[in-house]
Formats: sequence, structure tokens, C-alpha cells
Amino acid sequence: MKRTGLVFDDRYLLHDTGPDHPETSERLKVIFAGIEAAGLLPKLVLIPGRRVEEKWIRTVHAEGHIRRFEEACACGYAEYGHPDNRMCGESFDTALLAVGGVLQATQMVMEGKLDNAFCAVRPPGHHAEPNRAMGFCYFNNIAIAARYLQMQWGIARVGIVDFDVHHGNGTQAIFDGDPTVFYYSIHEHPTFAYPGTGREFERGSALGIGYTLNTPMLPGQGDQDYQEALERDLVPAFDVFKPEVILVSAGFDAHADDDMSYMNVSTEGFSWIMRLLMELADKYAKGRIISILEGGYCLQRLPELIVNHLKILLQAPDNH
Amino acid sequence: MFIEKSMTRSVISVGPDAGLLEARELMNRHRIHQLPVVDRDNTLIGIVTDRDLLRAMPSGLLTEAEAQREPERLAQLTIGDIMSRNVITVSPMHTLEDALLLMERTPVGAFPVVDQQGKLIGIISVRDLMRAFINVLGIHEPGTLLCILAEDKLGTMKRIVDAISEERIAFGSVLVARHWEEGKRAVFPYLLSSNVAHVKRKLEKLGFQLLNPMDWYLDRLPKKD
Repeated sequence: MKRTGLVFDDRYLLHDTGPDHPETSERLKVIFAGIEAAGLLPKLVLIPGRRVEEKWIRTVHAEGHIRRFEEACACGYAEYGHPDNRMCGESFDTALLAVGGVLQATQMVMEGKLDNAFCAVRPPGHHAEPNRAMGFCYFNNIAIAARYLQMQWGIARVGIVDFDVHHGNGTQAIFDGDPTVFYYSIHEHPTFAYPGTGREFERGSALGIGYTLNTPMLPGQGDQDYQEALERDLVPAFDVFKPEVILVSAGFDAHADDDMSYMNVSTEGFSWIMRLLMELADKYAKGRIISILEGGYCLQRLPELIVNHLKILLQAPDNH
Repeated sequence: MFIEKSMTRSVISVGPDAGLLEARELMNRHRIHQLPVVDRDNTLIGIVTDRDLLRAMPSGLLTEAEAQREPERLAQLTIGDIMSRNVITVSPMHTLEDALLLMERTPVGAFPVVDQQGKLIGIISVRDLMRAFINVLGIHEPGTLLCILAEDKLGTMKRIVDAISEERIAFGSVLVARHWEEGKRAVFPYLLSSNVAHVKRKLEKLGFQLLNPMDWYLDRLPKKD
């Protein structure tokens, strides 16, 4: 069995997005209750949130963005930059705690205290661009973790896999010209889904050409299509890139029961994806994989999805 | 909507006395496929395309004797000899719709823009029209596209727009596909938001049918018996 960390903190519930908003604290409540009910808690190393030092936020985000977000929060505004990005007085601090939790888990994996980790954090991050919040995301958790791996641990090749049903425009933009971070995303085709980026021809720029890879999926596609696409696109790309650490933008909104998309991935389909990522991590990254919660809004399905996700992290399939 | 606002002003042109190689070099360097030909007063007198040039410079199909004479023959040819003199032009006060419809019925990829005196002042290409269309679609901004099947009657659009606006969601664009089923229109609102699940439920409650994306078309024609 692997030593798996779980970043979780009651303070992640404090980011309040108000009524009629899918990115609610209920998501984490049902996730935690599900983990507890499945009896997984004793098997996991619990990692509380930690306020991140702002220098790490600045490795990805403009100072102006950080200050505007902080001010909007302090002034009691109900949204930051766009009506999608609702917030409350606690949102800025919660976002700092989310990044801090992710970096703490990453540090523990790099120190060898953990094999891998799942970060059940809010708010999510993959839409956040260097200078703006977008799509419920304020700070790009996964991008900051990648920079941390490079700067603190000298990791030369970070592989990011984003299976949230929406394209991670923020993460892609941050590493667009960077050949040291490979960004792979599989998502609903941008003509039919937010935010409208992540087309096949987006392959990175300048030195980063070839280090961004997008697989848009057609509405209605499901497990079989995802498996074929990942084996066709992701596996050969990572066979060449050989990531030293794998970071996962784990969004569960491609689930058939999630009304954020038209995709038809089943609960078992998500397990298959995660087992594939574990295999890739074992093959290239010494098993080092840090998974970070992005979307996933079906409150009925989230508990089983996350429990399965954690079970797979805890017990890597034996392929040797 | 006037051509003047969307055309390329710094148009590359050539004189009728220019050689073929010179013209080919110019087109390669600027990556263009049409080269308007002007006289000394900048009056448009013709146009050459990259295809005209290729046709005037046959290379692979020559006998050895012909191939030996080829450089000499090419050196004597000028753009004036091979250009088309019947140029389809537009005026700066024509509209983008004019250019779109004209392009649909002619096999031409770009129209020189000339003023009332016939002087060349710009060129408008398929590419310029595409840029305008992308802008109209609003797809450079993040958002979510819906497709609503709606009755073709007065007030339907208002109900759709009201239902969405009440949720404080901004529009990037609204396309309406006119040719659909009898009495129906397909309405495509592009919403500048990721939070659209509740507005979709609301539209369905109001009696609108949201179409499955795999059934979306922009040009579905009415069925003919």
C-alpha cells in the first residue's frame, strides 16, 4: 500500500459562492463524508491547509492580480472580475490556504514522506490566468505547484494531466512557451464547452511548441472514447517527455450525471483514467503524483468518485 | 460594416512592367496570393494570382529544348502580359455583407478596393472577412454556447434574452440559424460565463427545447417533399 496524503481543511468551506452557484462548499462536505464512510481516513495522512507565502503566488500571478483580489475581498465585494467568480470576505484567505495545502503535499512527496497525495481544496485553479480570475478560479494551484517543483526541488520535467471537462486555459497560458512543463488536457470540445480554448492545434508557442497537447472530446462521448484518446495522445507524449513528477488537475465534471457537460464518463471510467496515470507515474516519476481537485459538481457522485480516486492512489496496480 | 474599416490598407501591388520572378518573389515574401497591378498613378489596371504565375511558368512538362529557351522566354514576359484585366473590385463604402455575398458567387479570394477615381486603396480578403466573423461570434472571449430550438414567432427572442439577462449573464453573441424545421429557428446564444447549468434548467422550465450539441447545425435546410 502506498503512503497517500489527503489535503483537507474545514477552512476550505469558508469560501462562500452564494446561491445558484455550482462551486459550493457542499462539494467538499460530501467528499469528506464519503471518505469517512468508506473507512479511508485511518489509511491516509491528513494534511491541513497552510497559508502560502505570497512569493510562491508571484511565480505565476501578477502582483496586481493578487492585490486586486485581496482588496475586492477586503471591501466585501460579491464577485471578483466577473460574475462567475463570486466570493465572500474569506475567499482570499481560503485561496491562499488552498495553494499552501497543495505545496505542503508536494513538499511531503518530494521529501519522501509520502508516495502521492490528493488535495481536496477550494477554490479550484486551472482557469486562473496570470492576471485574472476566471471560471471560479483565483489562483492557479497546479501551476504554482509546478513552479515550486522547479524552483525548490530542481525538477526539470513536470507533467501536468488535466482531465477536468473544461480546458485549463490558465495552466496552458502559463506554460505555453515552457518546454519544462508538459501540459496535457482532455476535455469537452471547446465549441460546446467553456471556456472555448483547448483546440487540437494549440500546441504551445516559441520554445514550448510541442509541450502542450489538447484532446477535445465530442459531446456524448464516454469511457471507451476517453480510453482510446488517452492511449493515443497522452501515453506516447509522456513516453517521450518522461515527466519526473506528475501533477493532476482532477475534475470530475465529465461524469454522465454532472450537468456541467454533455460528456458520458462513468464512475468506473474515472477509475480507469486514474489507474493509467498511476502507471505513468510509476514508469517515469518514481510514483510521484499529486492530484488536485478542480471541478466536479454532481453532489451525488462526488463521494464515490473521490473514494475510488483515493483507493487507486493508496494501492498502485502492480504492473512490474 | 463598411469595407473601409476591415480592409488591409497597406496593400502590396506591382507595376505592369514588372517581371514574373519579381512578382513571385513579392508574393512569397509577403505570403499573399493576389497581387493587384497598378499604373504610375496607382490606378488599378489588373490583378495576378499565384495561379496565374504558375501557369505562366511551366517547369516539369517541358522538353529539353524548350527548357533551354525557358529563361529567355520568361525574361521577356511581364506582369502586364499575364494579368487579368477584368478585375472584380469593391468600393470602400461597400459593406462586409456585399463582400461575403460576392465571394460566395465568384471564385475569388480577395477583392481590390478602389476609390471613385479607380485608384487602389486597399484589399479585402477571405481572411479579413473571417476575422470579422470571429469577432462577431465573440469566441475570443471565454464563454459557453447554447442551442435553443425556438418557435419562429414574435417575442421568442425577447423571452430567451430576458431569461438569460435576469441571471446576470452577459452575451458574447446570439446567432440565429434561419433555415431549420418548419416554423422553428435554432438560436445560439454565446454566454460569457461558465456558470450556465441553472440558466439551462430555467430555459427548459420556460418550455424551450435545448438541442443536444451533436444535432447542432448552422445551415440545416428545410426538408423538401
